[in-house]
Amino acid sequence: MRKFLMTFIVMLMMAALTVTVTAQDERWDGADDLDVAPLQCGMGDEMDESDEGMDGDDEGMDEDMGMEYDGGSAMGAPDMMGEDIVLVDVPKLIGIGYFDATYLGMQQAAEELGNVTVIQGGTTEANIDDQVADIANYIAGGEIDGILFAANDPVAISPVLEDALSQGLHVIGYDANSTPGAREWFVNQAEFNGIAKGMIDSLVAEKGEDASFGIVTSTFTTPNQARWIAEMWAYASDCYPELEWLETLEAQEDAVLSFNQANSLINKYGEDLDGIFGMTSVATPSSADAVTQAGLCGEVAVVGLATPNAMKPYVDDGCVQSVVLWNPIDLGYAAVYVARAVVDGEFAPGDTTVEAGRLGTLTVVNGSEVLLGPPFIFNAENINDFDF
Amino acid sequence: MATMEKSKMIGDGKSPSQILKDIALSQEGILFIILVLTIMILSRSNENFLTTRNLFNQGRLMAEVGLMALPMTFIIITGGIDLSVGSILGLSAILVGYTWSNLGMPLEVAIVMALLGGSLAGFINGLIIVRINVPPLIMTLATLAFYRGLAQGISEARSVTGYPEWFFGLGQGTFLGFPSQLWLLIIAIIISITVLQRTTLGRTLYAIGNNAVGARFSGLPVDRTLLIIYTFSGFMAGLSGVIFVSRFTTTRSDMGNGLELDAIAAVVLGGTSIFGGKGSIIGTIIGVVMVQLLRNGLAINGVTNDATIVVIGSVLIVAILVNNQIQRLRQSE
Repeated sequence: MRKFLMTFIVMLMMAALTVTVTAQDERWDGADDLDVAPLQCGMGDEMDESDEGMDGDDEGMDEDMGMEYDGGSAMGAPDMMGEDIVLVDVPKLIGIGYFDATYLGMQQAAEELGNVTVIQGGTTEANIDDQVADIANYIAGGEIDGILFAANDPVAISPVLEDALSQGLHVIGYDANSTPGAREWFVNQAEFNGIAKGMIDSLVAEKGEDASFGIVTSTFTTPNQARWIAEMWAYASDCYPELEWLETLEAQEDAVLSFNQANSLINKYGEDLDGIFGMTSVATPSSADAVTQAGLCGEVAVVGLATPNAMKPYVDDGCVQSVVLWNPIDLGYAAVYVARAVVDGEFAPGDTTVEAGRLGTLTVVNGSEVLLGPPFIFNAENINDFDF
Repeated sequence: MATMEKSKMIGDGKSPSQILKDIALSQEGILFIILVLTIMILSRSNENFLTTRNLFNQGRLMAEVGLMALPMTFIIITGGIDLSVGSILGLSAILVGYTWSNLGMPLEVAIVMALLGGSLAGFINGLIIVRINVPPLIMTLATLAFYRGLAQGISEARSVTGYPEWFFGLGQGTFLGFPSQLWLLIIAIIISITVLQRTTLGRTLYAIGNNAVGARFSGLPVDRTLLIIYTFSGFMAGLSGVIFVSRFTTTRSDMGNGLELDAIAAVVLGGTSIFGGKGSIIGTIIGVVMVQLLRNGLAINGVTNDATIVVIGSVLIVAILVNNQIQRLRQSE
């Protein structure tokens, strides 16, 4: 039996290898070979469902609509419809700009709603042991009606959250998910295809539909980056076939290495290089630094994922026009609105949309996730409003 | 060696009230009184503190540190220290996941592997401390980094999940109405007390702590004893690792980071002298319970995490000062 299993696994691995080899002909370096679901072309902000994915089946948003609710439910939760509720925010850690911003958004939502109090929980280190003990203490304290969390580990956090649900507490995740059954809803800040579209659209807006560009990523196998590149490849193939893909270079998440790799792109392709994509929050500022030092601001566009603080100098001096990420204030804001709607019975399993104050109507994806919307593009006008 | 003094005093034919006073004023007695006071204050300000549900939950959370604090008491009594237990916990947790998931062995074998791996890690500590005469602080500081690095290397920073349901009984289930791991802790406490008070091995520990050279010249098996307790320490860290995986339903290489300090703090709070030669298991247990309940009680009463750390630090200092003062007064009586 075991032998059979081993043989099977080896065969599977060989099959996977073959697929990878053949897939490399189709996909760009640094992309994975999972299914992609590119969004519709165009510069609009609307997150329309795509008509059809490249491979046509699952993972895509179009298929998600039919996926059944796979979240948990708060057992025997008291009916608090319209009544004052207390929620505790347990982020990965406290004291950093990013989670200060999500907390600020929560407070804004609480103020607007008037019948929600959000208290700050969480620990000063992003440590799963401490996070679990912290949540256990809030459950035992008995003074909260719900938990908003960003998990340090999706699996390890689940038992304590399941415990909270069994005590009748409402559990909503944001930023970093748990296993679906351990919480009711998860507010998803951005889907891979949304980020990919934001990146490609930003470059096209700056350099036109026939721009040529290089990519600086962490490694070819880092899951998120590989997913983003695959989605970028799919979206660009559909929408901007004229774009010229030059090369993907690996730079781990190392600032010096990223700087050097961006420099090699600049030196190798010279005039032919119109843009650089930074796939990590380290690669993007380093690439911007390399372009600045080469005196090529304006000649070579830098577009990438990064936090505003790291990019402010380059955006302020005009070297970088767009930084792609999501708005953490909106993320926290949406989490509170979702929690309130769940308590009031306005948002239940099976629903496909939820009202979230100033953000309007948010869509349910992947069964039990609420999508925040298209990624947020930081530019010269808005970047100084953020501090993280 | 509070109990030895006590038995001597009883032999002196003191009145029962005198014996009671001696017990109350012993290191552990004072600590116990402080613990009871703390519990009373905390339970008065929040009704959810003193519930079986919460206390059982706290029992679960402190089991791992408790298990590691027992051999740590032995080691500190000999004048040594083991800084690597948190890392051994992480390494054992990874061994469970690796053996089960990557090597495809049954989970029972994986658990045994983790316990063996933990013991081996402890044995290596002991071997180098004894044979090459490296100070325990240096040796275990080195293996603190080494074992954690090994855990990260073996796991390639990936976590293993999807364990069968029965395995979670250890970390999340109950046995005869009590959290399962609390039974393990209770058994380990009984064994540790017996070893320390009733066996030659226990006596040897005190002798080593008081005067290692003297103990050696008295013909006591110093090296063998040290080897045994460091291996025991590794084994207990391994056991904690298995419980940890069961409680969290996943393995991560950063598990148990910093737990060695929690264990050492509990031992020292419990009155074991960091210079060796003095200490007891009862004191350590009171120390473990006290730190855990303080943390939980303050959090339940709405004290923020940063403030909690400050309060716990202050309580540690006050408890040690008060105790030192009282013990000094008693000695001069």
